[in-house]
Amino acid sequence: MSTAIDQQVETFQNQFKAVRDEVSKMIVGYGEIIDGVIMSLLAHGHVLLEGVPGLGKTKLVSTLSDVMHLKFSRIQFTPDLMPADITGTNVVQEGTAGSKVLQFQPGPIFANIVLADEVNRATPKTQSALLEAMEETTVTVGKKTYKLDTPFFVLATQNPLEMEGTYPLPEAQLDRFFMKLKVDYPTVESLHTIMNRTTRLEEPKVDRIADKEQILEMRKTVRAVPIARPVQDYAIRIMLGTHPRPPHANATTMRYVRYGASPRGAQALVVGGKIRALLNNRVHVSCEDIRSVAFGALRHRVLLNFEGEAERIDTDTILKSILESTPEPS
Amino acid sequence: MRYVRLTSKTRIGRALNSMSDKEIIIRSLEKVERRIRLNRLLRELTFGLSIFLLVPVLFKTWDLFRPFRGITVIVVIGLWLIGVIGYFAWRISQKSTLAYAAAAIDHRATLRDEIKSAYWFLSNPTGVHRSSDWVELQVRRAARKASDLNIEKLYPRSVPPTIWAVVGLVVLFVGLNFSPLSEDHNWAYLEAAPAFSLTPEEQKLLNQTKELLKQAEKLDQPQLIQQLEQIIQDLEQGKIDTAEALKQLEDLKNLLDEGNLDMANVHEGLDEMAKDVEGSETKEVSEAMSEHDLQKTAEELRKLAEQLNSEDPAGMQAIKDALQQASENSNPSMQKLANDMKQAAQSLSDKDSKAAQDALNQAAKDVQDLQQTMQEQQAKNSASQQIQNLQDQLRQRQQQQQGQGQQQGEPQMGAQQQGQDGKKGQQQDKAGGDPANGQQGGANSEGGEGGKEGQPGQAGQQAQSGGAAGGQNPSGSSHAPMDIMGAPTKLNVKLEQEKLSGVNDGGSPQDLEEASKQERSKLDYRNVQSELSPAQKDVLNQDKIPWEYKALIKNYFQAIRQPRGKE
Repeated sequence: MSTAIDQQVETFQNQFKAVRDEVSKMIVGYGEIIDGVIMSLLAHGHVLLEGVPGLGKTKLVSTLSDVMHLKFSRIQFTPDLMPADITGTNVVQEGTAGSKVLQFQPGPIFANIVLADEVNRATPKTQSALLEAMEETTVTVGKKTYKLDTPFFVLATQNPLEMEGTYPLPEAQLDRFFMKLKVDYPTVESLHTIMNRTTRLEEPKVDRIADKEQILEMRKTVRAVPIARPVQDYAIRIMLGTHPRPPHANATTMRYVRYGASPRGAQALVVGGKIRALLNNRVHVSCEDIRSVAFGALRHRVLLNFEGEAERIDTDTILKSILESTPEPS
Repeated sequence: MRYVRLTSKTRIGRALNSMSDKEIIIRSLEKVERRIRLNRLLRELTFGLSIFLLVPVLFKTWDLFRPFRGITVIVVIGLWLIGVIGYFAWRISQKSTLAYAAAAIDHRATLRDEIKSAYWFLSNPTGVHRSSDWVELQVRRAARKASDLNIEKLYPRSVPPTIWAVVGLVVLFVGLNFSPLSEDHNWAYLEAAPAFSLTPEEQKLLNQTKELLKQAEKLDQPQLIQQLEQIIQDLEQGKIDTAEALKQLEDLKNLLDEGNLDMANVHEGLDEMAKDVEGSETKEVSEAMSEHDLQKTAEELRKLAEQLNSEDPAGMQAIKDALQQASENSNPSMQKLANDMKQAAQSLSDKDSKAAQDALNQAAKDVQDLQQTMQEQQAKNSASQQIQNLQDQLRQRQQQQQGQGQQQGEPQMGAQQQGQDGKKGQQQDKAGGDPANGQQGGANSEGGEGGKEGQPGQAGQQAQSGGAAGGQNPSGSSHAPMDIMGAPTKLNVKLEQEKLSGVNDGGSPQDLEEASKQERSKLDYRNVQSELSPAQKDVLNQDKIPWEYKALIKNYFQAIRQPRGKE
């Protein structure tokens, strides 16, 4: 049996590596972002990408869908976007006998990978149309609920600069995202590579590496990884450390944080840790795995208070202090 | 049969193969836990000991400058030992868990919580991952890692640096004990400072006293030296305090004074007897007696006994008369000699020259015995005087210590107050002759022996308020100021009650009781302890000019006497 598990782990690693390498053919210099996106996909979560325009966020998602041979749809969020534009709506159709019937026309959310581009430009009402889909993998239109195809993966982007006319994502919406990844400018070397690849006659092409079934199998593998109680306790303590309440809160948290992460934050830590463990050829989760995913999993779940906002405190700073003040189990 | 020599690695490998994954992990963790505990104990105990050892080192250093008594050392060292043992017991009782060992080995070997997770899965087999193949695989991998761990390398037996501090402190402590400082007392040899140590001067006094007491041993008081040594020993060992030592010394001195020979009386008797035998035949004897030279007197008496055979009747009659006159001496101290004289005179009356010679020889022998007794009495007096001096020294130290205690207890007493007190003291010193100021006034101004009596008394209190400027030491030396302090003298006079007949308000007779108007004290005067030496008592009680100074004083008054013609 252990040989089978070893084989399963090895397969997981190989497939993960293959997807990453294939995406890296198109996306240069964002190894961690690519890993985070794939991890979120395998963790049955969603990703919020934050970065200025032109950094390849959309390209990343489309490439990922190509590599995994998943149905991809893109929704450009604008202030006049309506929920029905996302979920779909019932339209009057003429039947074969000439009768009029209401027929549901699925929206772009009916895909495996949905790119919600500049998600913060839509109104909260429209943004909330994603809530059910992201958590329940279903869409309810009228009195009927439609099941979304699995895997269902939402990858939202937002621009941190042009904040005028935007609607910051509500807490409930943010909490649905497994990770929030910050897309920064690539390095000079990466830029050279990007120039070389994108300014020539032939553009790089990606091959199909994985399919839907393989991804679902990889998801099962992730969930099978055991985690010991002390390590899980460490993850929970980190999550509780984001709350400005004793006994787990440190001075930074008490000063700058209004609300901390929900249990979904701890779930993200544990599942992310499991994926990291598998990637490191381990069948157990370590505290180091928990720490490595802590920033991506918790940074969007920590809500600053007025003082934190006024002093422009980065949530990563708070998370760093929490990680430093939370002792490993002994 | 073929024997295969197994290497230790092979044996360990086979032993590991025979063990389950759980046993491998648990055994490794137990080994790690033992090593961690050992290193922790070494580290903590040496660190704690290095801190604890500061106490005896500092205590011993303090002891070098101000030696502690044995009981103090025992108490402090005892408390210190209790603290050390308690700390050791506390630290040794702190046992770490295997979970802690697992976390520690994970951290040390960079195993990323593998052993810790495996141990948790083994310890909690009923969790959500029960009978999970993944858990089994994880445990198997952890067991493999645990068997490959080199515990000796990961947790070597380390000697903590604090051990050198401990060694240094121990060496320092031993060195302090064996340091050549004079005030040092080696605790390793169970030595400690005595409760009371004599100063060199006091030790010298003590030795002189013992020498004198040895000289006076023939006075049938051989136990005095032992008693004196016992008093000093008890004082040094803290069995008695200074006050008790002073009291015992006083008792010893009183014991020494028992049966004292009245030297003045002897001298007076010799003078009287010298006058009685002033005749021409016994002139030499008279001169020797008047000179109080008893050895010469004995020799002259023997010569006189030898001359009896060659004397003419007139000379014999003169000798007999002289001896008869001398035999009538009523001085108690001369009774034995007077009896010998009487016996000789009687023999001469009986014309028994031989008996007379024997009587005179016996008289010579008695004179020699008297001389011996007088010498021993002088030694006793000197010893008593030395004991008195020793008492004075001890009392002075006691008063100084009390003064220091009072000064420490009343630090707020300002210089201004002291200055006022000093003025008072000077005024009282000036009024030293005033009887109202008590004996000490005179003692302070004159520096005589009488000052001793006033030290602990009321006058001592006056001297205290008068400051050091007004006080002198008992020797009377004006160059050595003495802080005389102490409680004022209280006369423990309890007047006798006497019954009186009276009449109450109703007119009926009533017996009343009030203090006697004659002011008779219930306290017997004989019970009042005197601090005077026998020699001092002799001088004071006789109230006469010492015989040694008679001639000098006579010459003095003759020299200053106005000539008769000018009167």
